[in-house]
Amino acid sequence: MVMSFFRKGDGGLDTIAAHTVSMLAEARHSFDLSSMALLSGADVTAVADDVRATDERINQAEQDLRGELVVHVSVHGSDDIGEVLGYTLLIKKIERIGDQAKNILDLAEEGVDLSDAADIDELRNLRQTISEMMSEAAELLNEHSQERADAYRASADTLRRELEGRIRECMHSEHPGHEVVPRAILFRYWKRIVANLGSVVTTATEPLQTQGYHDDGSTDIDD
Amino acid sequence: MNDPRRLGGQDHSGATFAADMDQTTAPLAPRNMPTGARAVPVLTLIYIFLVGVGLLEGGIKVMGADTQEQLFQGVSNPLAGLFVGILGTVLVQSSSASTSVIVGLVASGALGVDAAVPMIMGANIGTTVTNTLVSLGSIRQSEDFKRAFAAATVHDFFNLLAVMLLLPFELLTGALSGAAESISEKLVGSAGSEWKSPIKKWVKEPVGWLQDFYTDVGLEENILGTIMVITGIAIVLLALTFITKNMRRLVADRVERSLNAVLGKGGGSVAMLLGVIITISVQSSSITTSIMVPLAAAGVVSIHNIYPVTLGANVGTTITALLAALAASKPEALTVGIVHTLFNVSAIAILYPIRQVREIPIRLAQGLAHIAVTRQAVAIGYVVVVFIVIPLVGVAIFR
Repeated sequence: MVMSFFRKGDGGLDTIAAHTVSMLAEARHSFDLSSMALLSGADVTAVADDVRATDERINQAEQDLRGELVVHVSVHGSDDIGEVLGYTLLIKKIERIGDQAKNILDLAEEGVDLSDAADIDELRNLRQTISEMMSEAAELLNEHSQERADAYRASADTLRRELEGRIRECMHSEHPGHEVVPRAILFRYWKRIVANLGSVVTTATEPLQTQGYHDDGSTDIDD
Repeated sequence: MNDPRRLGGQDHSGATFAADMDQTTAPLAPRNMPTGARAVPVLTLIYIFLVGVGLLEGGIKVMGADTQEQLFQGVSNPLAGLFVGILGTVLVQSSSASTSVIVGLVASGALGVDAAVPMIMGANIGTTVTNTLVSLGSIRQSEDFKRAFAAATVHDFFNLLAVMLLLPFELLTGALSGAAESISEKLVGSAGSEWKSPIKKWVKEPVGWLQDFYTDVGLEENILGTIMVITGIAIVLLALTFITKNMRRLVADRVERSLNAVLGKGGGSVAMLLGVIITISVQSSSITTSIMVPLAAAGVVSIHNIYPVTLGANVGTTITALLAALAASKPEALTVGIVHTLFNVSAIAILYPIRQVREIPIRLAQGLAHIAVTRQAVAIGYVVVVFIVIPLVGVAIFR
């Protein structure tokens, strides 16, 4: 362990960035498993342990990263304080994505099964889109392309509004509650995941002071 | 292309307020300088540091024997020496600097090994003030402060206990200085002889130039000696400050990586070794121990994890006095440097292996922190009394 002092390699924020990307990959894994359980009619018990274990790893990673950020500030002083504060926001958002993925599993464990839904293909496409957004968010954490980040946020906003529309449809639906309520809850979780992903990318590219607020001063999306 | 690790579109080239604030004490080597290139200014600074030690030694030698005797007769009492060591180190906030000055004084022949040993022990106590002062920064956050103050004062209590045990032992037996003398004799020759240090040769020239310069402007005898001593001390302090700043930046990522690897996994000898390595790298135990304080305050590491790192820092910091001895012409200078190392290693050997004994400084530090968190004046009073009042009174009584 002490030999790590003499080894060449990444240190400082590079390591923290790498751990953050790994955390996002874990969140994606959790999201994919829990959503698939809901949409494919797969055995929930088969994935539940994996999702819970992944969530524990995400939570542990958040704690470890907080510690690493404190170590970073202690060693480097205040040079990187803006980024360190940015990372504290960022890892919290990824941790929430992990929680929301676990919440989707809770729905499946409650017996919700949407594999026979009339719009199952649409639902699967939505899941696929969100899952790919997680992958793209990880890329953007590494890449920091302002152009791609702007495009990402625009598509996240569009998807978020689409999910809001679907929640509204559920609220006014004529279908029985046991059909509509689980769908509304699922859309709500997906919407929050998409909002959190947008915020992850925002945290990576926007100045700390304005994160979470629009240019006109209004508060940001519900994440 | 953007640096992939930067968040919020920030980059290192953008001048931040903090960076502006740091300009006055900016290190000589820029942060983005390659590691190899950064070694050049550090090696230059070490050379300048050795010139400072040489100048100090030369300045004392220029003074007459009577003046030398008058200057140092006050520290012939070991307790006076101990308190002078504490005060001097508190004043310069660096045991590396104070022990280097002590080595320079011994090298000049004005200060004997017997008188220097208690001063070295005092320097060990004095250096603990820095991280204790750092811990006072969180005095408004009670739980953070409790953890930070305990983590800082565990260093104080360990070093105080070490001196309480080893100073009387040394005065009675001369074991530490005797062992150091044996090692020194094997390495560079017996006491009283002239050691032909190769580094001394390189240092001699610039010391001679400065002495000639001062002589040319009309300085002589005691005034010349005093000015040389003051210049030497100033060079030692400045060189050490810049060495520390450069090295801290040079090894920052390595320090961070190894702290993350070691501290999360517990303490023990690995953490102690890490304390030694970090301190040798940055040439300052205060940097090592002060890094630990915010970690303790935030609850990232416990006092049990920090304690061995602190003890490693005690050993690591002794490298500076050994380095200073390379510029000296007397084996006694090296003896004093070795005493510093032996003292700290012996203290660990006595106070660390047995769990019940090891816990004593931790319990004392936690007890004091428990009181200080409810009565903050106790924390400030502790610093003032232990590091200023008692040493001042001690010097007044025992000199």
